[in-house]
Amino acid sequence: MIEDLTFIAQISIKSSVAVLLATVGGIINERSGVLNLGIEGMMLVGALAGFAAGHFTGSPLLAVAAGALAGGMLSLVHAFFTIGLRSNQVLSGLALTILGTGLANFLGRPLIGQTGVRIRQLPVPYLADIPVIGDILFNQSPFAYAAYLLVPLAWFVLFQTRTGLILRAVGEDARSADVAGVNVPLTRTLSVFVGGLFAGLAGTYLSLSYTPGWKETMTGGQGWIAIAMIIFCFWNPLLAFFGALLFGGLTALQFFFQATSMDLIPSYVLKMLPYLLTIGVLVMVSASSKRRKSASPADLGVPFYREL
Amino acid sequence: MLTRAFSVILAVLMMGLSWTQAPEVSAEEKKLKVAFALLWTIDDQGWTTSHYNGIKHLQEEMGDKIEVSYTEKVLAADAERVFRDYAKKGYDIIFGTTFEHMDPLLAVAKDYPDIKFEHCSGFKSADNMRNYFERMYQGEYLAGYMAGLMGFKKVGTVATQPIPEPIRGINAFTIGLKKGLDEAGVRYEEDKLNTVVWLKSWRDAANETTLAETLIARKHDLIRQMADTPDSAAAACATGVPAIGYGEDVAHYGVDCALVSTTWNWGQWYVKAVQQVMDGSWSNSPYWGGMEDEGIILSSFHQSVPADVKDKVLAEQAKLAKGEDNIFAGPVLDQAGKELWKAGEKATDEDLLTMRVLVKGVAGKIPE
Repeated sequence: MIEDLTFIAQISIKSSVAVLLATVGGIINERSGVLNLGIEGMMLVGALAGFAAGHFTGSPLLAVAAGALAGGMLSLVHAFFTIGLRSNQVLSGLALTILGTGLANFLGRPLIGQTGVRIRQLPVPYLADIPVIGDILFNQSPFAYAAYLLVPLAWFVLFQTRTGLILRAVGEDARSADVAGVNVPLTRTLSVFVGGLFAGLAGTYLSLSYTPGWKETMTGGQGWIAIAMIIFCFWNPLLAFFGALLFGGLTALQFFFQATSMDLIPSYVLKMLPYLLTIGVLVMVSASSKRRKSASPADLGVPFYREL
Repeated sequence: MLTRAFSVILAVLMMGLSWTQAPEVSAEEKKLKVAFALLWTIDDQGWTTSHYNGIKHLQEEMGDKIEVSYTEKVLAADAERVFRDYAKKGYDIIFGTTFEHMDPLLAVAKDYPDIKFEHCSGFKSADNMRNYFERMYQGEYLAGYMAGLMGFKKVGTVATQPIPEPIRGINAFTIGLKKGLDEAGVRYEEDKLNTVVWLKSWRDAANETTLAETLIARKHDLIRQMADTPDSAAAACATGVPAIGYGEDVAHYGVDCALVSTTWNWGQWYVKAVQQVMDGSWSNSPYWGGMEDEGIILSSFHQSVPADVKDKVLAEQAKLAKGEDNIFAGPVLDQAGKELWKAGEKATDEDLLTMRVLVKGVAGKIPE
């Protein structure tokens, strides 16, 4: 029994790492007031670049760096259109997903079926020997450990440092921030870029560790789950950790029950759950006036014009 | 000025006309035109790759006697347009290579009675439209037999869609597994030989991985991949549990723990079908081949498979190749122990094609 529960918890973490990383990236760039619906596209490009770099150089470090950077580079396209040209953020984000998907599928064709670098589970010395907890938390891939560090770090930077204050100020009221001397376009561009790095890293996790290899549209909609998760978690990286785990856990449970010949929740329902829960949370948020304030950044999706 | 512009335009138009009117070189013998509509990309590592390998084989065999075209990613919504386009361009034989091509192909076949149409894995036909398929369940049976002889008695199967084709395969695998275990004298739990979990998709890398890992954590000793992508087998390798590949030889995709793969070989059928159109012997009676025509092939075995096991499996394969297919010969029991086919009875092709029940030894159920 304990063994089964441990395993379910371990799989839950394992299958939620990509969504978690992408969500935290999305939170950072939405906190600065830029909506980016291109996460799925950036994840795919990151997955491909990471796999390709690993395939050709054999170096895991280069592979991860290339994947994250590729996501970052693609996000700059979004930054150019939405911050530079002040075009519609929803459209630009959707275009980014379509572009990223097409580009990755097209460029990736020769790499389908190839083998490359594989980043395996790496038990942490000593910590992995702790009963139960060690198996759940510290018998994972290095990507999970990176997420353990990056998630609280993102929270700390956003909410406990001056940098985070500036970033959030730009997202809440860009005009006031501008008057206070903040460089709004630069702040937004940087946070979009960081969001892209996270999405690229999330994609790299898929192509190097979780399902090693390159396959067409291998993210399978995880980028969209991340977008739902950003809202679900009230734009807070710490909550994202629990949100991602909740969905990873539901998936793990579903499979576990199947493997023991039980069918608890139909898998179609399960696939809808992230979106259903998000809608539920949105309804709850708008029903209670207190929480509304703490949720969405006020200037989210609003292009910044400096008044002349 | 205007006249000059006009004459330039006219000249350009004339040039265009003269090009389109250039006489075709018709001195050569007329080539037979063959077209294929494919489900996904030719490098999908599974179903479409196997059909593409068939097309390559056809081209090698028939060389310059034929002209071959194919279109990738022909999904249901677009299929009729693709087929109609090929028909209009005067193709002599057109293949629809996946189940969902059935109705669009039939619609186009009715409008072009002089063109031959071939549909893979379906059940509707017309005077000029034929069904073709291969008996993958024979390969599954042999793979199960091999696993049984090697003593694997708690197999985990990562299955795809709950329709007759995979169900048949799971049953044949389990029947083979039981036979192997009995012959090897291994004791086993009668109802839990082969646990089945469903992806409800033909390919889904992330869930294939998770399902395989879940099965392994439940102490299953062998993973049977059934999806088009090799990820469940690859996940097994990563945890040190052996696997059996499906569709293509997964060893080519870095799955180094695959004991064997059951693979499609469409090329032989494509050559026959095209040859029949050439010599006028084409008919619409359905084709369901298998080991007999080498439409299904076992890949080479992993080095860990003992020589005597190999010999036994190959001997069983030789029987199938001679047409002695007694895989679903009675007594065959369902999961509850009820007799599906009594001793002396045998499943008909009709029974096999509509199979919607799991046999004894399979743990898990068919999702609604």
